[in-house]
Amino acid sequence: MIPLLILSPLILLAAIGAVWMARPVHAALMLALTLALVAVLYLALGAEFIGLVQFAVYVGAVAVLIVFSLLITRPGDEAEEIERRPRSLVTGLLCTLPVMAVLAYTAASGSNIKLIPWQPKLSIAELGEVLFTSHAPAVLALAVLLTAVLIGAALFAREPDKTQDDSSEK
Amino acid sequence: MTPLAMMLTLSSVLFALGLLAVLTRRNAILVLVGIELMLNAANLNFIAFWAFDSPGAHNAAEPVLSGPMFVMFSIAIAAAEAAVGLAIILMVFRHTRSTDLNKLDSLHG
Repeated sequence: MIPLLILSPLILLAAIGAVWMARPVHAALMLALTLALVAVLYLALGAEFIGLVQFAVYVGAVAVLIVFSLLITRPGDEAEEIERRPRSLVTGLLCTLPVMAVLAYTAASGSNIKLIPWQPKLSIAELGEVLFTSHAPAVLALAVLLTAVLIGAALFAREPDKTQDDSSEK
Repeated sequence: MTPLAMMLTLSSVLFALGLLAVLTRRNAILVLVGIELMLNAANLNFIAFWAFDSPGAHNAAEPVLSGPMFVMFSIAIAAAEAAVGLAIILMVFRHTRSTDLNKLDSLHG
């Protein structure tokens, strides 16, 4: 309960930073901070392995990938973004606040059922056993998906071949 | 407020912030940032229900791992989604020299 009380405001502040920062690189770094804090929350709740996976995959790969793409694309100056902001914020809040109100109301009212916090332990041995016995088909499907993604991303990132372009334009 | 309710409220606010980023940002990469926030909010729900579930509801002999399992697959798929999304954005950038979504209003490559 105490880690939750400490981490929740920090996570929300970092997420607000990710949404609000005008400079894209700052927003991406705030996203990395949000993801790292969520990983710490997982660690505090007893899901150590998930916390470490979150650190490795989200903070280590996805956030760094986003920062690198921002460096490659060099987005324009943020003066235009700041000037446009009040209008887009009003529209965005009009669409977002009802969604948040419904979700938060359901979350706060629907979970009054007395649940006992039972401090579950996530044993990596058990997780590995379940992963490669009952969940093996899902792991295989995921492997196929990741291979397809790898090939697809490499294909997209490849510099277009001029000679091939001519032949494909028939 | 129970810990479960707190976690669910946290995750709903996080989801709303992600939605706000998707709706208001004009840079395609920052829209992806919003999508990552929303995915994280969903993952938080799985861990919340796993961590604060009642032990009596399950067979005590069997480990209860559905929540973390789902989160693990979700993280893997989110990484794949980010990789493909960024590759597409970079390809669009190569064509139009811009990632501003307001300027990308034509399907002609």
